[in-house]
Amino acid sequence: MLAFVLRRVFQSIIVLLVVGLVAFSMFTFVGDPIDNMLGQERTQADIERLRQQLGLDQPFVVQYWNFLQNAAQGNFGVSYRQGRPVSEILLERAPATLELAAVSALFAMALGIGLGVFTAIRRDGVASNLIMSISLIGVSLPTFLIGILLIWVFAVELSWLPSFGRGEVVQVGGWSTGFLTSSGLKALILPAITLGLYQMTLIMRLVRSEMLEVLRQDYIRFARARGLRERAVNFRHALKNTLVPVITVTGLQLGAIIAFAIITETVFQWPGVGLLFINAIQFVDIPVMAAYLMLISVMFVGINLIVDLLYFAIDPRLRAGRGKGH
Amino acid sequence: MSDASQGASRHTDASAEKPTPRSRFGRAWESDFAWKFRHSPVAIIASAVALLIVLAAIFAPLIAPVDPFDPGALNLMNGFTPPGTPNAFTGETFLLGTDDQGRDVFSTILYGLRISLFVGVSAVLFAMVLGVTLGLIAGYVGGWVDTIIMRIADIQLTFPSILVAMLIFGIAKGVTPVEYRDQMAIWVLILAIGLSDWVQFARVVRGATLVQAGREYVQAARLIGRKGPAIMLRHILPNVLSPVLVIATISLALAIIAEATLSFLGVGAPPTQPSLGTLIRIGQGFLFSGEWWILFFPALTLLALALSVNLLGDWLRDALNPRLK
Amino acid sequence: MRFLTMTLTALALGAPAAAETFRWAGQTDPQTLDPHAVSSTPVLGFLNNAYEGLVRRGQDMTIEPALATGWEPIGDGEGWRFTLREGVTFHDGATFDADDVIFSYERASSEQSDVSSWFAPVSRVEKVDQYTVDIFTSAPNPIFPDSIANWMMMDSGWAEENDTARPDKEQGNHATLNANGTGAFRVTGREPGLETTLAPFDDWWGEAEHNITEAIFTPIQNPATAVAALISGDVDMINPVPIQDAERLDAREGVKVIKGIEARVIMLGVGHDHSQLKFGADAGEPNPFQDVRVRRAVAQAISVPAILQTIMRGNAEPASQLVSPAMRGFSEPNAEGVTQDIESARALLDEANYGDGFSFGLKCPNDRYLNDEAVCQAIVSMLAQVGLEAELETMPVRNYWPELREDAFDMFLLGWSPGTFDAEHPIRFLVATPEGNLGTWNFGGFSNDRIDEILPMIQSEIDDTRRQELLDEAAAIIQDEVAYVPLYVQPLVWGARESIELVQRPDDFFILRWVRVN
Repeated sequence: MLAFVLRRVFQSIIVLLVVGLVAFSMFTFVGDPIDNMLGQERTQADIERLRQQLGLDQPFVVQYWNFLQNAAQGNFGVSYRQGRPVSEILLERAPATLELAAVSALFAMALGIGLGVFTAIRRDGVASNLIMSISLIGVSLPTFLIGILLIWVFAVELSWLPSFGRGEVVQVGGWSTGFLTSSGLKALILPAITLGLYQMTLIMRLVRSEMLEVLRQDYIRFARARGLRERAVNFRHALKNTLVPVITVTGLQLGAIIAFAIITETVFQWPGVGLLFINAIQFVDIPVMAAYLMLISVMFVGINLIVDLLYFAIDPRLRAGRGKGH
Repeated sequence: MSDASQGASRHTDASAEKPTPRSRFGRAWESDFAWKFRHSPVAIIASAVALLIVLAAIFAPLIAPVDPFDPGALNLMNGFTPPGTPNAFTGETFLLGTDDQGRDVFSTILYGLRISLFVGVSAVLFAMVLGVTLGLIAGYVGGWVDTIIMRIADIQLTFPSILVAMLIFGIAKGVTPVEYRDQMAIWVLILAIGLSDWVQFARVVRGATLVQAGREYVQAARLIGRKGPAIMLRHILPNVLSPVLVIATISLALAIIAEATLSFLGVGAPPTQPSLGTLIRIGQGFLFSGEWWILFFPALTLLALALSVNLLGDWLRDALNPRLK
Repeated sequence: MRFLTMTLTALALGAPAAAETFRWAGQTDPQTLDPHAVSSTPVLGFLNNAYEGLVRRGQDMTIEPALATGWEPIGDGEGWRFTLREGVTFHDGATFDADDVIFSYERASSEQSDVSSWFAPVSRVEKVDQYTVDIFTSAPNPIFPDSIANWMMMDSGWAEENDTARPDKEQGNHATLNANGTGAFRVTGREPGLETTLAPFDDWWGEAEHNITEAIFTPIQNPATAVAALISGDVDMINPVPIQDAERLDAREGVKVIKGIEARVIMLGVGHDHSQLKFGADAGEPNPFQDVRVRRAVAQAISVPAILQTIMRGNAEPASQLVSPAMRGFSEPNAEGVTQDIESARALLDEANYGDGFSFGLKCPNDRYLNDEAVCQAIVSMLAQVGLEAELETMPVRNYWPELREDAFDMFLLGWSPGTFDAEHPIRFLVATPEGNLGTWNFGGFSNDRIDEILPMIQSEIDDTRRQELLDEAAAIIQDEVAYVPLYVQPLVWGARESIELVQRPDDFFILRWVRVN
């Protein structure tokens, strides 16, 4: 067990290092940060001087090495755009993204499991087919368009919900939360739906197909034959058995939610790390981009590691077989 | 409708042609498959819509009233003409109106579809070939090869596709000769979307391969001295194809949408040769200005396409699942 | 004493969420609060609310006294003497005097400053007494007071205390996140990229015309989101309004659109010093744009009115030269621009032996100017009518400027807003032969001996008539040589709630002290 854990942790570190290397090789292609840092009256000499100061005249491997050296000491550099330590900025922005991701995951799980069970039980019903088809609309249009349409309907035409931002936030020990104010809660609704729609459809489909399969299993048939009430069969026995794969997939999808948050945050001007990253791309803010990518990869690697370890703990034979759920 | 069912069964023919011990089962499965198709109105309608859209894209030059990619044929003064109403300056009328450049929206949708479908299909094919190959190898060979492939998959998942797209754009710009620069964007999109998509193919195929590799028939093949590649191609691949097919269908819809999203983020098809996604990106700028048709018709087309492909994928998943009868 | 009663009212009301909280949104967050670190419109425009210079621009862009009550030339054009306003305090309570001017000069003209070029003509600055300062120039400089409207005064004590005596673009320092000016508003909260809060400065020397008690700025990048925020009342003002939305927005209840003309002229440039074409099917062939007839044919092939009619929805004016008529030194004799004339364009191309046209590359930004991408597309189809096949490549500015610097274009789109509001500015940056501080944005490498000869004469000419003659001559050369193809003056479109009164200035600066919430 220990050997396996150590090996996986070691592999994860290698993955992180490679992510960093790939990231730094890209930055030159994203664009040139210099023009955003200098005004109209800059001269060629100013450009050269700034480039040198930022170390941009070095090959990317050297830039990466410098980054690693500083990162090892907990220093992720200073944002070109904001002139502040990147770690400070990321910490400031993380609560917004995490809260949004949590609410969307919750929304996706609750609605996804509920509708999944319903459509499985009434497999051929009109309502089920309708739900199945309508839910597909959610994944048949680009997220940004869904977001803009939601804003248009609920913020502009109906004026029910705010069109952008997080509303009023409250500081709770360095964590800014929107959960405690009514404007904060209202502001969460549209972005959470936009972000969670895709996962909701996915979970619903997964629950439905797992349920359909479980419902055919012998023990369910026995339960029915024993005369247990339909509802008890459906929920106590069938649903319980579908939840394991659902939770696994949802766990893996949590990463995807945070990655998708880039688009949602851009459309809703949601002040999280996704918006920060898009801004960083726009202004070629290399320190911010690098730190963000490292953060995301730590997250993905971490989730994968945990999933693998869980599998290992549950069933050593499955150690190599985490093919389930993409 | 029969066209579509033939199209679908042709695919199964291809896998049934291989002289595997399962070919008899394959044929039975095929007829069963056809029966299921005939009895599913959703599948029939979805494939009809998809077929119609694909045909419209293929025959776009014959159907479209104008070639919107020919800048010399455009008249800026035709811009913003509402559908079916004559333009105030030129008096010309357009079925679905015109966009800001005076391009006929109907024609741009047809031509845009070609690009979107081409990008989508190529990206999925690319992802499929890459993912299936790596998945097979990872699952069959195992050991450190498996570890490396799956860790590469982890790295891949870390990078948002927009960044991958930008990287490839940047590199492509450096290496493509200037005379190919204008077509470059399309290939970059295919690569970028394909690269961010292969992981799920690889994971599913690897999982299925692990299961199949333990089966008796594979052991038997190994015993009679068949080589690894042959076993993978002849024995394992046919047995993992059905989940791959399902993923491919759903990925196709996703790839077409991903292309639209990349365009929204500023890395997409050139505006002079817009894809469906670029049209939607341009159109969303007119949501509040009253020119609804610039957004509405391309979005509707994308919705119809993605929806029908998704429904087909859905149906396929159920139909190909032997455990669900 | 009106501001005093207002303050009292505000105090009586207590809560900052009182009726006069004004919220506005722009596309870009000012990246720093340091007035000398970055010379860009979002930064300087925003900071004009918190900081002030010796002079400032009024609602009609004229120069008026601010921290200096008056100024006069020294001797025979040796420099300028500024008399400072007495009784001015900074937001932290410190007094403003000549030492702060000297300090602000040293800070703004330092190597770390991004605005040091404003002080290139200055030879030295001397304190005469506590409220008098002499600024000497190495040559007579008639427009010097005009050119320092954005030179903002910083308190020397505050800067020293907070270790921010020099701007720091790379690492940032106290002045990046905090502001301590003399302006009508002080910054009370700053979350970079998210929200910046301002409150009226009670001890401001001027008389407050506004009735705001709190102002909150939020950057919103996505134009559709900004429009939605304005309509739904989440913000009171947005800048800019996407031009296509202006009409509909104006017609909506509770919202109005404020339109004007910006100082920015949009133009096409070509690679004058490229011997060969670099893009398109004819890459490697000799560069036809070196022939003035071809450049003129390009100008004649484009119908600017059609672009303005459709893409700009009638909200912009055609441009005849590199500055708009609102700028000082605009050349009246050259006010007649080129009009579309397809026949003549074809004839010119024939004459230049390009009757069959040719193919080349056109580079355009897609996030820099209003509808830049759409304008370039329109240009492509217009040039196609005379057989010029432009291969369009659009990109974000982060890639665009590097591309232009590397000379990777045959033709490009450029917008220019003269920081000094004077016609000399674009000549210095866009037309003069690139060398040192001159021609730093002259990507095409246009070079004309006479222009290079008269530029220094324009810069030091005290006599207005003579200066205008020189500017007219330069404008005529630029037109005759078709150094650039001027297209139009970019429109300025803001949106606000009906209840808001505000003033729109052509430099796209949004000045809070002219805002009234009704």
